[in-house]
Amino acid sequence: MAAASSSVPFFGIRDEDEHELSKQQSTTAAAPPGAAPAFAPPKKKRNQPGNPNPDAEVIALSPKTLMATNRFICEVCNKGFQREQNLQLHRRGHNLPWKLKQKNPKEARRRVYLCPEPSCVHHDPSRALGDLTGIKKHYCRKHGEKKWKCDKCSKKYAVQSDWKAHSKTCGTREYRCDCGTLFSRRDSFITHRAFCDALAQESTSRLPNGIASAGVGGGGQLYGSNAGIGGGINLDLIPPANPPQFGQLSSTSSLFRPPQSYLAGSGSGHDFNSLIQDMQNNTTAGASSTGNFYNLSFFSNNAGTTGAGTNLLLPSDQFPNSRSSGSGLFPSINIKNNVPSLLVADPTESTAAPPAPPQMSATALLQKAAQMGAAASNSRSSLLSGFVGAYHSETTPRAQLVDNERSFQTLMNSLGGGGGAFANNLDDGATKLHHVVGAGTPPADNGLTRDFLGVANLSVLESEMKSAFSRRNNNP
Amino acid sequence: MVPLMGNVAQDDGSSSVTSSPLKSFSLMSLSQPALLPCAPWLRELKSDERGLCLIHLLLNCANHVAAGSLDRANAFLEQIALLAVPDGDAMQRIASHFTEALARRAIRMWPGLYHALDSARAVVLPLAEAAVARRHFLDLCPFLRLSYVVANQAIMEAMEGEKVVHIVDLNASDPTPWLALLQGLRARPEGPPHLKLTAVHEHRELLNHTAIRLSEEAERLDIPFQFNPVVSKLDNLDVESLRIKTGEALAITAVLQLHTLLATNDSADARKAAQRAPPAGITQQLSLGDYLDKDHGANGHSPSADSVLSPPFASTSPARIDSFLAALWGLSPKLMVVMEQESNHNSAALTERFVEALFYYAALFDCLDSTVPRQSVERLRLEKMLLGEEIKNIIACEGWERKERHEKLEQWARRLNAAGFAAVPLGYYALLQASRLLQGFGCDGYKVREEGGGRLMMCWQDRPLFSVSAWRC
Repeated sequence: MAAASSSVPFFGIRDEDEHELSKQQSTTAAAPPGAAPAFAPPKKKRNQPGNPNPDAEVIALSPKTLMATNRFICEVCNKGFQREQNLQLHRRGHNLPWKLKQKNPKEARRRVYLCPEPSCVHHDPSRALGDLTGIKKHYCRKHGEKKWKCDKCSKKYAVQSDWKAHSKTCGTREYRCDCGTLFSRRDSFITHRAFCDALAQESTSRLPNGIASAGVGGGGQLYGSNAGIGGGINLDLIPPANPPQFGQLSSTSSLFRPPQSYLAGSGSGHDFNSLIQDMQNNTTAGASSTGNFYNLSFFSNNAGTTGAGTNLLLPSDQFPNSRSSGSGLFPSINIKNNVPSLLVADPTESTAAPPAPPQMSATALLQKAAQMGAAASNSRSSLLSGFVGAYHSETTPRAQLVDNERSFQTLMNSLGGGGGAFANNLDDGATKLHHVVGAGTPPADNGLTRDFLGVANLSVLESEMKSAFSRRNNNP
Repeated sequence: MVPLMGNVAQDDGSSSVTSSPLKSFSLMSLSQPALLPCAPWLRELKSDERGLCLIHLLLNCANHVAAGSLDRANAFLEQIALLAVPDGDAMQRIASHFTEALARRAIRMWPGLYHALDSARAVVLPLAEAAVARRHFLDLCPFLRLSYVVANQAIMEAMEGEKVVHIVDLNASDPTPWLALLQGLRARPEGPPHLKLTAVHEHRELLNHTAIRLSEEAERLDIPFQFNPVVSKLDNLDVESLRIKTGEALAITAVLQLHTLLATNDSADARKAAQRAPPAGITQQLSLGDYLDKDHGANGHSPSADSVLSPPFASTSPARIDSFLAALWGLSPKLMVVMEQESNHNSAALTERFVEALFYYAALFDCLDSTVPRQSVERLRLEKMLLGEEIKNIIACEGWERKERHEKLEQWARRLNAAGFAAVPLGYYALLQASRLLQGFGCDGYKVREEGGGRLMMCWQDRPLFSVSAWRC
């Protein structure tokens, strides 16, 4: 093809929508001058970008005409049609002469269209677009109002077909960075990720100040040393209410990084990596890793202070997620050995006014109490122990829901057993207490009450209550 | 009572500070309150041990309260008071609320005291306080917002293609879900429908506030909107007043409401009085108290006067729930979304309720402890005015007064099925939106899980706390 008559230099600037326009048969300005377009339909020749067909007929339509959907009007009934052919077929119905014109390839003039918007690049004849549909869509997209909105995300479109195409793919393929940003494209995700990780590491060095100033020393121990990595990034997330700093600090802990690397990254827990791996080998449910994880965290802090590292593994084994395999390794007898050592260390700690020790959650305490009750009360299942290993998606029917009497009995037993074990654990002279109480039988009340006169009464009371419950059960 | 401490202290010779503080604690006789003040070692209790201590004390106290032995219960309460504070760690807070509940429960033995104290707060909390507490719950925990997201998604799916949508909200103190729904409806490809919202609530002021807020938003979004307030308590709601037209596309939402309809006059006190041999002098008061109790908690239903000293299970009026569900079913709703607490706080035995509630609220207090700073006033208010009141209602109240009769989803499913409802599985998309909301919330302790049948469980650390399910007629 000869060069364009108006030898227009190559327009290096690319329109935003060029990649969409390239679908159509138009002379789009691809990047390098003189480069062939990516695809060329065999039927029609495509001109080089910037070199339009010199003998093409340039058609400039006004915006109104361009957006008009029905350009062919029947003179009889004024009905509008988008295509000439359709109008002709319609004219048959009026008994009007009609003729279906065939497009004659020899005579057909190549038409190019101009964008009516003066400020647009395609307003210039040398940059005219070759397709009527193309110019219509272009005008809508660039100079029209965006009336179509994707219902999943908030993207808006002026052209209905664009909107449809987008909603098909919206949300189907997504990448999510740790910081919460969503990406639909893999390349932008990777780029962001690299950048974002840099932010992450930067924030860990800032973090100790952040923690101290946030005043979470007292309460944040569940996520204590673990807050390291996640803290910095998530400070940007605006929480719905008061800054839930604990939540922010810990939110990244389980999203994408395995706990091992997490602790390793924080730099304070290298020696705990093996501990964690052992724990995770023992745990059964994958979802429990978070639970064990946070339990380990405060224990790890304890280990720093009391030096009894290995002992601290045991309570977390009693948590529901690891009950199957782990619990066998740590019978309750260990509690007796370990707790006193912790307690002995206490007075020195507390007198030195340390930062408040990490705390078990209330749920964890309840389960521990149940465990202790269960361990101490031999074969009888305690009410509280029913809650050990509690919640899975299938609700397990528990005794207490069915049997009032038995449940009350077991509650008493758990208290007696649990209380007894509780007292035992704390007491070097455990047997002495039992002798003092004077019962070779397991005490019916818990170890915390010492009421000599009341012992007999309590057993009476217990039997009374049992009979009361049995009466209740017998009544319809 | 022989003081225990003297004996045993010599035996193991451990009365110095260096011994385990808990050991000394356990040795102490409860009948010697004079020893209690000199307890500096209490401060040395680590939080775990203090927590375990509290649990044991609470359980013992509950037993004694349930059995009626108030002296011992009182002693335990004194002990607990040393350790439990409403602004401590999670276990301390739980303990402080549960002991208050137990104390109120204990006072039921003296109905005069009970009613005197009760009527002081029977104005129910001032309206503003309750609304504030609910607002804090919305802000600090994601559960309500999760249920709104899920419910709205279910409504949008059920109402696809409908030109007129009628929604009945059984506790419309909160315009939040409907604001979101208006946005969602606006973005419908087929354009927004005509939306009618019938909101039921006890208090007119809250309804007015909701009405204004929603009307403004609908105006702004250019959605035809109609708001019908219905001022009524749920248990004497007349479904005719909802003005549902036959053939309308109807959606009902019941967020933490249905369990109040399980209340019935199954006062356990009556049974206890009949069975136990109470100390002399109390019998008269108990019977009178029970009579008063039935009268007091009547709520428009005539008390059965002959049930005061009658044998236990006689003449218990049926709860309103079955007739209510039947009436709702009769409206032929396209969708009903139910959100309830996932725990059984409705067993007749106090001790069972106590233990269940202890575990349940422990999880709730834990999630607050992990996500909200300790000194947060909002958290304190939420714990005291919303959760604390629920706990008190579960433990200290009986009969008609006991409104917080939470039950697990399986039970609700049975009731709903019996009333004619069929379950509608909540779609994948609802779960997706819920998970996204949680990710945005930023705390990974919260989880949303799908249960069999397309129901969703909102959990804290694998303990389900709330359930959301959808039903159709």
